[in-house]
Amino acid sequence: MARLNSWVLFRMALRASLLQATWNYERQQGVGWAYALEPALEPLIPDPGPRTQRLAEHTAYFNTQPTMASVALGVAANLEERRAMGEGPDAAAMARVKSALGSSLAAMGDRLFWMTLRPFAACLGAIVALTNLARGALVLWLSYNVIHLTVRFLGVGWGYRGGPDVLGPKLRGGFERLTRTTTLLGCIALGVLTAMLLAPGGEPRPLVFQVLLMAGIGVGFVVAQRPRPSPTEWALGAALVCTTAAWMRGVS
Amino acid sequence: MTHGLVDFRVLATLAVAGIAVLDATPVAQTLISQPLVTAAALGAVWGDWRTALEVGLVLQILSAATLPLGARTPEDYASGGVIGVAIALMAATLHPFEMVREACAMIGVVIGLVASILGVALLKWQRRRNEGLSRWCEEALAAGHEGALAAAHRAAIVLSFAIGVAYCAAWLALSPWIAKLTSVESLRLAHAWNLAQPLWLGLGVAQLLHAFVQRRLGRAALYGMALVAAWLVLMVGTP
Repeated sequence: MARLNSWVLFRMALRASLLQATWNYERQQGVGWAYALEPALEPLIPDPGPRTQRLAEHTAYFNTQPTMASVALGVAANLEERRAMGEGPDAAAMARVKSALGSSLAAMGDRLFWMTLRPFAACLGAIVALTNLARGALVLWLSYNVIHLTVRFLGVGWGYRGGPDVLGPKLRGGFERLTRTTTLLGCIALGVLTAMLLAPGGEPRPLVFQVLLMAGIGVGFVVAQRPRPSPTEWALGAALVCTTAAWMRGVS
Repeated sequence: MTHGLVDFRVLATLAVAGIAVLDATPVAQTLISQPLVTAAALGAVWGDWRTALEVGLVLQILSAATLPLGARTPEDYASGGVIGVAIALMAATLHPFEMVREACAMIGVVIGLVASILGVALLKWQRRRNEGLSRWCEEALAAGHEGALAAAHRAAIVLSFAIGVAYCAAWLALSPWIAKLTSVESLRLAHAWNLAQPLWLGLGVAQLLHAFVQRRLGRAALYGMALVAAWLVLMVGTP
């Protein structure tokens, strides 16, 4: 039995980019998962009949953080390889492994990518954008994708080689450290951004601007303790108040 | 630039909207869809970097702390970012005065916020359409058609792109009225912008701060120190 080569793993990572194309409330990433696993099943189950049945089995409910899904896909490829050799788990055990991996990876991935890295990239991009918008957009994109694309493309290999025990202390510790470091860098970047909003290029903004910015931060920090109303709804409320104030002040 | 009814800049804006909606969830999630990135693209298309930056920055900071956790559908800042910045740019190209530019930025952000909120309903509708697609795909696979997987993906991507373009086009169709409003009420809207811009930025910074700090005093102190240090460097210059 030929081991899966790196071209297959690369194709899986490419298709993992489409994991959420068919996202829906019933199966969530199920169909995308089967599509991403197809390149691995092609060499493992050369007969199209059984292969299609196996793919149908894989369209069952699945959901995780989309970048981290690469690792789970690698593990699934490893298990499918063992199944093709006549060992390894049956369909029910496979479903259990997928479900366990999906929730652990989602917990790690949500914290790293959505709650830390994306806000951090936005801060860094905003700092640079204040002097050059195009460069800021590039910095935002790069600072996120250096990690995002690395995990998406190398993650399949980590999962494939590590098997079901891939989420050991090494990988977990690595992600934990990365999340913590990025959070601390995020605090610093946000401080620099606030200073640059107050006095861009050493020219202090008008007093009204500075006072309102600090007021916004103060009020925002209090309302951020609750998820509802969302920041967007608060921002619309602020727009209403400011427009009313401008109309009452009249044209002068 | 204008050839009859078709303007290259409008077509480019619609293309950016479609690509942004694809990047947000269905394809790759590389953050091309973030408001600051789409604002840069639209700034280049419309040749007005300043307005693009002002609207894009506010929408970016507000969107950064809006999270797609679990199965929750967050506000659709991919569409909102493109629509808000594009509306502001379209209105601003008609009036090159500073005051009207601020009025355009005000309208742009408000429309961006409203479009992000209304876009959620559209996303949910699309995801329910995907349920049908997914069921069809499973049945076809069970019947032995392996090609159904690729076909379902093609269909979902085309649908998503089309929805992104159509949603943006619907908002852009309002732009003549919006341009009229910005020129008639430019003074009041500019006043509102001067009040709202710092408040919005502050609200967004606070959301980000909350996400980073998570009730740890040391992190809050780090933010404070970075703020003071950067402010000193900006005001006094490097030692």
